[in-house]
Amino acid sequence: MTAPAKTSALPADYFCVFGLPRKLWIEMNALEQKFLQLSWKLHPDNFVNASEEERELSLKRSSELNDAYRTLKDPVARVEYLLAIEGERKEGEKKQQAPPELLEEVFELNESMDELREAKAAGLELDGMKERLHAAETNFGQKLAEVDADMRQTAKDWDNAVDAGAEEASRKQIMARLNDHLNRRSYIRNLVLNVAKELEEA
Amino acid sequence: MGRIVGIDLGTTNSLVAYVDSQTGRPRCIIGPYGSTLCPSVVSLDPDGNVIVGEPARKRLLTQPERTIYSVKRLMGRGVADIQDEVKLFPFRVDAASKNVIRVQLGDKSFTAPEISSFILRELKNWAEAHFGESVDRAVITVPAYFNDAQRQATKDAGKLAGLDVLRLVNEPTAASLAYGLHEKQRGLVAVYDLGGGTFDISILKLIATSEGDIYQVLSTNGDTHLGGDDIDNLLQAFIHEQILQSDEIDFSPHGEIAQELRKELISLKHGLSEKESAKLRFPLPNGKTFEFEFTRGMLDAMIRPVMERTMTPVKRALADAQLKPEQMDEVVLVGGTTRTPFIRRTVQEFFGRAPHTELNPDEVVALGASVQANILERGVSNMLLLDVTPLSLGIETYGGAIGKIIPRNSPIPASAQEMYTTGVDNQTGIDIHVLQGERELAKDCRSLARFTLKVPPAPAGLPRIEVKFLIDANGILQVGAKDVRTGEQQQIEVRPSYGLDDAEIERILEESIEYAEQDFAERQVIEARTEAESILVATSKALAGDQSNALPAGDRAKIDAAVAALKESVTGSDYKLIRKRIDELNHATQDLAEIVMNSAISSALKGKSVGEV
Repeated sequence: MTAPAKTSALPADYFCVFGLPRKLWIEMNALEQKFLQLSWKLHPDNFVNASEEERELSLKRSSELNDAYRTLKDPVARVEYLLAIEGERKEGEKKQQAPPELLEEVFELNESMDELREAKAAGLELDGMKERLHAAETNFGQKLAEVDADMRQTAKDWDNAVDAGAEEASRKQIMARLNDHLNRRSYIRNLVLNVAKELEEA
Repeated sequence: MGRIVGIDLGTTNSLVAYVDSQTGRPRCIIGPYGSTLCPSVVSLDPDGNVIVGEPARKRLLTQPERTIYSVKRLMGRGVADIQDEVKLFPFRVDAASKNVIRVQLGDKSFTAPEISSFILRELKNWAEAHFGESVDRAVITVPAYFNDAQRQATKDAGKLAGLDVLRLVNEPTAASLAYGLHEKQRGLVAVYDLGGGTFDISILKLIATSEGDIYQVLSTNGDTHLGGDDIDNLLQAFIHEQILQSDEIDFSPHGEIAQELRKELISLKHGLSEKESAKLRFPLPNGKTFEFEFTRGMLDAMIRPVMERTMTPVKRALADAQLKPEQMDEVVLVGGTTRTPFIRRTVQEFFGRAPHTELNPDEVVALGASVQANILERGVSNMLLLDVTPLSLGIETYGGAIGKIIPRNSPIPASAQEMYTTGVDNQTGIDIHVLQGERELAKDCRSLARFTLKVPPAPAGLPRIEVKFLIDANGILQVGAKDVRTGEQQQIEVRPSYGLDDAEIERILEESIEYAEQDFAERQVIEARTEAESILVATSKALAGDQSNALPAGDRAKIDAAVAALKESVTGSDYKLIRKRIDELNHATQDLAEIVMNSAISSALKGKSVGEV
């Protein structure tokens, strides 16, 4: 099988679906109210007895609405989506690479995980190692919170830039920062999930 | 257009309901055996007649080799999937089954959608008898955690039964619709639905808006192979072991005795929901009677592992909705298995509030289905259901990994677009493998479909094919593809890997329509003949009586002619003609009937004083 090579394909602008500007701060309650209001209008249940054309259109529009809601509701997916429609989302090889400033800690963590696995296989006492891993889990959990805080700050910068009608260059620069946050977040998050899984299995 | 109904196609029992236009309330239809429950059991007569429901259930004991129950467990599944089930259930899988499982009933074999369609057809008959009108559309419920193949199989079953399936509704969602209507509930609701063979948990938000009530599903989880059946299996295995030890009798779990024992154990289990202890007395083939005193504590010990298996999905559903158990405003119990005191108590402890049990847990899903049917029939309504897809949809990528394109608990309809191109020059096809599930490797997820995108020959990387994956409001996948350069659309037929293909559906449908029309016509002929019989008997009795002398001679000749005509029509099988002749005879005997009636009244009055009348 030739595995599919894919590039991105994007439908209608999700911000437009909700009549919102391309900004990252969204009032959740208002988003939900708008979602419910549009659902009344578009949901296929209201078109069961309509013409086939109308039914098709309702299916298309309501799926776009749901896709938009699902994406904008989640702050991280929202940033990813914004960068994607602006053509600035670059996962690249960075996804699998440890950010340089974390290299040492990641190296230690991997070592601890290996030790735990070996000790488990040998049937040794695991308590001490588990404790170390728990500490590492907490440590990387904090780093995740830090990335999220950075992301929120940069998101504010983006919104301000939009409001101020900032130039292309400074916008791109903010988006590059957002892109870095996303990659860093994704890396740390995988790490935290792996540690949690390892601890659960031990 | 005919009537519309809501159907709960259950593992153990199935029901059909409608919304009473006078009261606006949903009601379950009572079948010919006096119950709203139609046992989901199908049996095939040696002469080819299909028997469904209560009479089929009785045949489990006498003709287990031509009778099947719990067929819902086989819906949308492949031969390799069901090895565990075959050990515990008397499914006689046709050795010639390929992708789609065929079950042997006597000397014929059927797919699971066909067997389910027999049950649906029976319920359709119940409803038609109730309304005196044809029924052609239905909302059918499915476990929320059913995957695409299981949903498609259910929809196929509806089609095979001659029903236009307007919507598949998730069972817990339907239940909450029935409760919402009944109790005017608001806020966060957890629906815990443990049926005969499936478990679902759904977390909903009930919102009142100016346009009406919205039932928004926030998350759902479950296990499509967990239910009361599992408790029965544990009970049965336990007693088999006891009998083996005390009497050294080892009988196959599939035989007649095993079915008899299973039936006894199920009624014992039901009894223990009311009583603290119950005694099993079971006659053994060696002439002795096996006796065993069961306490509720012993049953609880067997329910505990089943109950514990439900808690993982419950916790996952709550986590996905980002909610805690104590945040629920209401908890609703659905499914016959939730009658068990142990389950009620455990659910109550977990959520910290008493669960709702006001509505009959066996009927509540069918009632909700009929409410949704009513909403769809009217087109516009003051209620709206917003449901989610239970499982993530993904595409196989390099190295057997999976790329998720629609995450679980996304509101449906939901869609995702992916762009594909070629890896080598002049490649003419791109293989796509669609899967459903939460695991990270394709081999651990459910294969939904494989298809090949057609690509015009071009240098590698130049073609751009946009594929749109869409999960519709039934939770069923549709796929469309577009060549971005030429704008040409490709129609992609996605049939589930373990489903029936269109040709098979057509073939079964053709056969079943023939059968159905034949069945319908036969039933009509039998009914018309029976009616003719009784009117002929009544007429000849009236003519033989003294009162008939009062009849004018012309009338007598007319009656004789009508009688002869009816008798002649009964020898044929044109039920419309028989009906016509019955009407004619009725018309001809109007005067006679009156005379007979008058004389009956006067003879009743004879010898009585006026005061006594």
